[in-house]
Amino acid sequence: MIGSHHIIVETKKIKYEFDIKRNITVIRGDSATGKTTLIDLLSQFARFQGRTGVKVESDVPCVVYADGLISWQEAIKSVSDSIIFIDEDYGFIKTKEFASVIKNTSNYYVLITRDYLKCLPYSVNEVYGIRNSGKYNFPQRVYNEFYPLYDDVENKKISAKCLIVEDSKSGYQFYSVAVPDISCISADGNANIYKKILSLDTKDGCYVIADGAAFGAFIDKILQLRDMGYKIGLILPESFEWLILKSKVVDINDLQKILETPEDYIDSRIYFSWERFFTELLEKGTSGSIAEYHKDELSQYYLEGKNREAILNTVKLFLEE
Amino acid sequence: MLKIFYGTVEENLYGPAWFNNNYEQEWFEDTFVQDMVRDVDKTSYKEGEVFESSVLGAIPPEKLSGGVKTLISIYKNPTLVFDATSCGDNCAIWLQKIGQKEDITVTLRYAMRFEEINDFEICLLNTNSIYKDKKEFTLAALNVIDEVL
Repeated sequence: MIGSHHIIVETKKIKYEFDIKRNITVIRGDSATGKTTLIDLLSQFARFQGRTGVKVESDVPCVVYADGLISWQEAIKSVSDSIIFIDEDYGFIKTKEFASVIKNTSNYYVLITRDYLKCLPYSVNEVYGIRNSGKYNFPQRVYNEFYPLYDDVENKKISAKCLIVEDSKSGYQFYSVAVPDISCISADGNANIYKKILSLDTKDGCYVIADGAAFGAFIDKILQLRDMGYKIGLILPESFEWLILKSKVVDINDLQKILETPEDYIDSRIYFSWERFFTELLEKGTSGSIAEYHKDELSQYYLEGKNREAILNTVKLFLEE
Repeated sequence: MLKIFYGTVEENLYGPAWFNNNYEQEWFEDTFVQDMVRDVDKTSYKEGEVFESSVLGAIPPEKLSGGVKTLISIYKNPTLVFDATSCGDNCAIWLQKIGQKEDITVTLRYAMRFEEINDFEICLLNTNSIYKDKKEFTLAALNVIDEVL
């Protein structure tokens, strides 16, 4: 499935309105914000359609997973081109098997959970809380909306002596050369960033550059370190390849359109995470040219002169002045 | 004291469902329970088994949030071990308050943000250490979570 899907769920007393635009969306946050009520309403609608006073508007079917006569694996495989909501405390969503089952399916998944789902590559931009906006004839009718929990985590410039980079390949190669006045360290994977920060002298401060497209499971611990006084500057572009594409240093057909609404081009059946789409787009789009991109070894094309500066300027856009 | 084990434990109790099958009406007459419900759910206790939600109107106990159901279950049954993952950050202060009244043990699968309060005291069961400083506890808890979750 591709695209952004606008969903409205409403009764006489309550209304939810939100958009789902990636294969994995996570809902978490405080108690009593209406997560379970949303699931209850969607379940009622799935079972009785409009006969209970619940209205659901969506251009694709919204399905709620529930225990039944068949296994969760079979239940998921029996649905296609739908948005599947899974309520909290179905432990299977934490497993590698769940990741394997939902990979390459045509569904989008909305997971209500406070667990850190390390097996799933979900974006920091698709972790939401639910809040009551109160703008819909409150208190007669309550209007609930999703809000991104990590919308404003990229912070102001800090003085830092080192830069922790998620990967050990092209991104690390770039920053090692392009930012020579700061010590560049590879964490060798997003799961290792937390430990890497702790291994540093906390007074010196550090920047962290990670692929936002798959950092959803790891960001909370980093933010809690920052809340405790660790000087951490977070830079979370979709991926390093996205940064290059965004920097306009390569010429690829329809690139601007793709970057404006990636969800219209990234099919959940093919790409488990957006970072894989951007890598493939860059690799194919530069193949055979002077800018030919290889993740394992970054071409000099990106490491020199105005191209290097253009990419660095895009990085700086993530930092408030 | 509040004692916390971070990790997945199969034998612990799932508060939202356990509460539905075990609550007793007299629990709701306890002002501490009423305060928790009012603070977390923005819901006030009326009488019998009726609450008044600011969103849903009159509701039965089964319609309280999973978080507050778990808090009430813990408070009224301090010898049982519940999974407090059903509780959001807005329940943290109440877990701490219950822990100041009773010895309670809960499990958690995420880094709940606890509050800086007087007489802060939490036992981290994974390392069998007692912390009286929020920052020290948080760092120790994050390290455990990074290893086990």
